[in-house]
Amino acid sequence: MKKGSLTNIIVYAIVAIVLTVTGIIVFRAMVPEPPQPEVELARAAIARARDLESEVYSPKLFREAKNNYDSAMAAWRTQNERFILVRDYERVIYFSDLAVKKAEAAAKNTIARSKSLKNNLESEMSRLNREMSLFEKIFLSMPLPQDMKKKHARGKLLIKEAEIDFQKEKYVDGNVKITEANEYISGTYNLARKNLEEYFKNYPDWQDWAEETIAESKKTNSYAILVEKIPPVLHLYQGGKKKYTFEAEFGSNWLGDKKSRGDMATPEGKYLVTKKLSGGSTKYHKALMINYPNKTDVQEFNERIRNGQLPADASIGDLIEIHGDGGKGGNWTQGCVALKNSDMDMLFKYVSKGTPVTIIGSTLTLEEFFSSREK
Amino acid sequence: MKNKLFLAIATVAVAALMASCAKVPQEALDAAKAALDSAKTVQTDVYFPAEFAALNDSLTVMLQNIETQKSKSAKDFKAIKVAAEGISLKAAELTGNVEAKKAEVKAEAETMMAGAKTALDEAKALLLKAPKGKEGKAVVEEMKNELTVIETSLTDAQTLFDGGTNYVQVVDKVKAATESINGIVGELKAAMDKAGIKY
Repeated sequence: MKKGSLTNIIVYAIVAIVLTVTGIIVFRAMVPEPPQPEVELARAAIARARDLESEVYSPKLFREAKNNYDSAMAAWRTQNERFILVRDYERVIYFSDLAVKKAEAAAKNTIARSKSLKNNLESEMSRLNREMSLFEKIFLSMPLPQDMKKKHARGKLLIKEAEIDFQKEKYVDGNVKITEANEYISGTYNLARKNLEEYFKNYPDWQDWAEETIAESKKTNSYAILVEKIPPVLHLYQGGKKKYTFEAEFGSNWLGDKKSRGDMATPEGKYLVTKKLSGGSTKYHKALMINYPNKTDVQEFNERIRNGQLPADASIGDLIEIHGDGGKGGNWTQGCVALKNSDMDMLFKYVSKGTPVTIIGSTLTLEEFFSSREK
Repeated sequence: MKNKLFLAIATVAVAALMASCAKVPQEALDAAKAALDSAKTVQTDVYFPAEFAALNDSLTVMLQNIETQKSKSAKDFKAIKVAAEGISLKAAELTGNVEAKKAEVKAEAETMMAGAKTALDEAKALLLKAPKGKEGKAVVEEMKNELTVIETSLTDAQTLFDGGTNYVQVVDKVKAATESINGIVGELKAAMDKAGIKY
């Protein structure tokens, strides 16, 4: 080989190497940078939002973040299918940035919403527990429909389930349960309160009857009986002064005036003792028969028949007594007033035929009654 | 002229070499996706939510890395293959663990349901002996109502249990019922202690 040829080959080789390296450098420089940092930021932002449970607390924003991330990835895949030097990652970056913004908004919203749901759940649990306890203090012994009491019990269990969700930091589930519980607890409470408000519309009459009875007892210096359904007590007055107070029990449907036979209600109005029964003449230890129905009861009964509030074949009922065998802890009579036998013995000693017996809803106003129960 | 020709050939050769030197490990990738799908089918997301989310995240990172490599002039998918295989392994491991976890939660649910039923029977028995003092009857009636509602809730829990879809929900439901029953039993026992009634 000639010396000149060898030199040429070496020169060519060096030139080829230099050109190749330069080609590689130029080629690499011309390849666009992959949008990995932007996409990674989006993924990390979504992961953070997911860890905060944005899927639960901010589902819309979280879904939007994920959709934008998916769009970024789809755009990236599309660009990667093109010739390497003509790829354009602008849309990938655009969707990634959007995904970051949505994910951050979802996370921010999640923090705020979970905090707000937590606070709401906590305060609602506390409020409903108070309302539930108040319902039990005020209305438990009242003759409410069974369905209403069942709803109250259902509400009570839902509060317990919400408490477990609260402990597990499942605030969305807890709020769903507490909302349902509210319908049951507040629903029954409000309905029961409305019934009671309706009942207390008779308060002016009760007040008049009670005052008249006490005044008469004072004027004639004689005994008189005043029965209150709320709280359930019987007072014995002598000369206008309260001598004894006994706990009383009534008909199972005691909230309201007696309207007809078999309605299990205890009548309200001004009556007199018509007969004293003891020994074998009563099955309830001792009894004081009263003159139910009186003239007003008969008038009201006939009026109810006329306006269709009672069926035409309804009867008014009778044989209402104050009797013994009470102390059972509930309202169980068919309309009579029941006392403990020892209390009945005491009452029986002082009362005679003709003693006034006034039965009213309450001497307390509705507000006084509520505040006494709320204590 | 010779120089220019040489340069063009060299550039194309290098580019072709770089473009064709690596391929996406599709098989490993498909296997990882399939493993995750299987894991979800057996409710890994319910019984191991954090682990399942982490695996999903690993898959997302891997898909991202594939595109990163595809975007480069010199591609390398070796690490991705390893990652895909790791995901498959972990998903399979989780899938295997789900059955054990499910059995554990199922057993817990069963024990709790049995406990709730025993407590319910105890409460019912105590109700029969409960003192009937002032407003006592009304309280007993209220408790009876509550026990009826709790019993219905326990029946719902049993239906959920029989369905086998989510034992965690069963546990939560029964826990609430049990706490309510225990509350009633506690109240009854306190009232009976006060009244001197043995139970």
